[in-house]
Amino acid sequence: MTEAIVSEPNLRDLTEEEFVERYGAGRFTCGVLANRGRYVAEHICTDLLHRAFSPIITFSQDFVGAIVGPPEQDYPLAAVNKGNVIFLGSLSTGVRNTVWEYGIERLEPGDLLICNDPFRVGNHVNDMCFIRPVFHAGEIVSFVVIRAHQLDIGGTVPGGFSLMKKNVYENGLVLGPQLIFHRDEPVKELMRTILDNTRFGETLLPDFHTIRSCCALGERLVQDSIERYGIEAYKGAIRYNTDASAASMRAAIASLPDGVYEGEDKVDSDGVDAEQEYRVHVSLTKRGERLEVDLSGSSPQSRTSLNATALDAQTAVALAVKLVLDPFSPFTSGIYRDIDVLVPTGSVIGAGPPAAVMFYFEIQSVLINAILRALEAPLGERAVAGAYGSTNLHTGEGLNPDGTPWFSAAELEAQYGAWGATDAGDGNNHSGLATLNMIMPSVEEIEPRVPAIILHREYLPDTAGAGTHRGGAGLMKQSLFLSDGDHYLVPLHFRSASGSGVYDGGDGRAGGSWFFEDESSDATTPVSEFRIPDPDDFDGSAVVSGVVDPSSGRLDPEGEFAFFGRHPIWSERRGSVLRWITNGGGGWGDPLKRDPEAVKRDVRDEYVSIDGARDDYGVVVSGDPDEDPEGLEVDLEATARCRREKSAERAPGQNVEGGR
Amino acid sequence: MSAPGQEHEHVSVERAAVEGACSECGESQLRRYPVLSEGGWYRVVKCESCLHSESREPDPVGPVVLASVVLV
Repeated sequence: MTEAIVSEPNLRDLTEEEFVERYGAGRFTCGVLANRGRYVAEHICTDLLHRAFSPIITFSQDFVGAIVGPPEQDYPLAAVNKGNVIFLGSLSTGVRNTVWEYGIERLEPGDLLICNDPFRVGNHVNDMCFIRPVFHAGEIVSFVVIRAHQLDIGGTVPGGFSLMKKNVYENGLVLGPQLIFHRDEPVKELMRTILDNTRFGETLLPDFHTIRSCCALGERLVQDSIERYGIEAYKGAIRYNTDASAASMRAAIASLPDGVYEGEDKVDSDGVDAEQEYRVHVSLTKRGERLEVDLSGSSPQSRTSLNATALDAQTAVALAVKLVLDPFSPFTSGIYRDIDVLVPTGSVIGAGPPAAVMFYFEIQSVLINAILRALEAPLGERAVAGAYGSTNLHTGEGLNPDGTPWFSAAELEAQYGAWGATDAGDGNNHSGLATLNMIMPSVEEIEPRVPAIILHREYLPDTAGAGTHRGGAGLMKQSLFLSDGDHYLVPLHFRSASGSGVYDGGDGRAGGSWFFEDESSDATTPVSEFRIPDPDDFDGSAVVSGVVDPSSGRLDPEGEFAFFGRHPIWSERRGSVLRWITNGGGGWGDPLKRDPEAVKRDVRDEYVSIDGARDDYGVVVSGDPDEDPEGLEVDLEATARCRREKSAERAPGQNVEGGR
Repeated sequence: MSAPGQEHEHVSVERAAVEGACSECGESQLRRYPVLSEGGWYRVVKCESCLHSESREPDPVGPVVLASVVLV
């Protein structure tokens, strides 16, 4: 079958009669129903948030809720909650694939379908997709969907966050489309399969029941919408909602000059070979209201779990394009209407079976950075600088003194960090990646459960990319472990700066990670006697990753790359300290044009040193930021002279240097 | 067993040439290749000059071949 290709009318140009004829209801009613769809998605997720047991759901909020439209409309993603956006781009295709393969004719009221296969529904095997059909007068008129990260899904490592998994067989349990609840009763055969092949079943099982009841709540709310407004208006509002976001994205694409724009970024390694970086290349071709995004030229799929699927690529493209071109319209599947994504099969951004797909979000991150770099020139002052680049994930496990096991995943790394600056202002210092708007678990939640103390979280001066608007600052984070443990570390973007500056802004400084082992400690050493390294102390550290001076262990752009994969498992004794320094965000605009008073505030707040103010911004600040931070002063005459000299030193067209 | 895929330095989408001219701009630059868009996978014939789609055939699972395909 070949689809008819028809041009669409401008929604704003439709008369009220034409609008009603097209959507089965007026503009006001369609607007109410579109908002009500988002309310339903929010309501079911609030319910899940309050009742789930899994910490990655309750504390990190690694889930999303959505309403997907009926098969006759080709399963459009109509409404989502303000959840983890990493799931959004593949929901429509994932639900379509799952229902189509299971057989829509087999679905009954009260059924809950699942699928977690990355090649069918995107994301990774921990991210279970739960799909409940909504019936009206015997017909499926929508699907209520929850996509939620499960604490464990089997595989070689608790929680699953090991880069060393080499194929789907090591990665975890793959579940094709099947029912986990039938007519609101659990399908015990599948429950047994899951619980017999995964860890933490005491958490997974009640969460499955909670997710079923949340989806049932969503079904009742959708049916209530239909009862109030009628089925034609309900279906029409779904079409309107997707058409509206398609129109918004179409106008945003049209605002970009026609052309071909290329960019790329790299992941440090797949954990096997220190010398093999993995590249994601992007070529964006824009003509009129059409955009084609070709990922040809990317590296082949990796030998480890550093892979993403084509559906993840499509999600990352959507998020990047929305970030820079159309950030305010609701996310629906309509945003793809004028965007074609070409994904080379067998690439690290479009892997195929039996490749292991786990760290897909790292590949998405470099794809987003590649798109930001590609669009820097055509966007001009609307360009967005690069962010910190990697979640640097950590998983730890071991035994407590009483012999009970402990486990921590995605809590003690440096998963959050600096964003790049924009024309609107300085970059945030501590946010999730553009794909991962999760919540960082609190210290108070982690420390009672994990034998660790979070010692430091503080920003480091001169790590942010300099600019008229400064990038976010690099974060130094240290955790002390109170038990021997095995640690799986996945820092993937320390070889080069990820925070690319734009519009003459500077790059953020690349960071690194280190382990400090206290060799004098043993099982009886009091915590107060452990060696706690000062932030500027690198003596005796083992460099996990980063470009460092090998003699001192300090970051040095001219130094050598320390390869984290030289130890697939970092076995560390009680009293060890894990340190992270995240990459700085890129700057926006010429740093010599930054308001000197803003630079002085940065010195006061220790985002910039006095030397950095002079060298990177040409601002001469006097005083003592430690002893008298409010007494700092800008020498305006010396600043003007310094900036004139720095401008004269620049070669024509030269980009400025960034963090020191 | 590791997943295959390390034979090449990089991987690309093949664009097969198609006879004919674009019905929108008239250029003879039609190519056939798979894309992801609204509605999932399609096999498209598009003009490389203006990006007009001459045809778009839905392709439910796209180019990925699942191990369980033997059941179909």
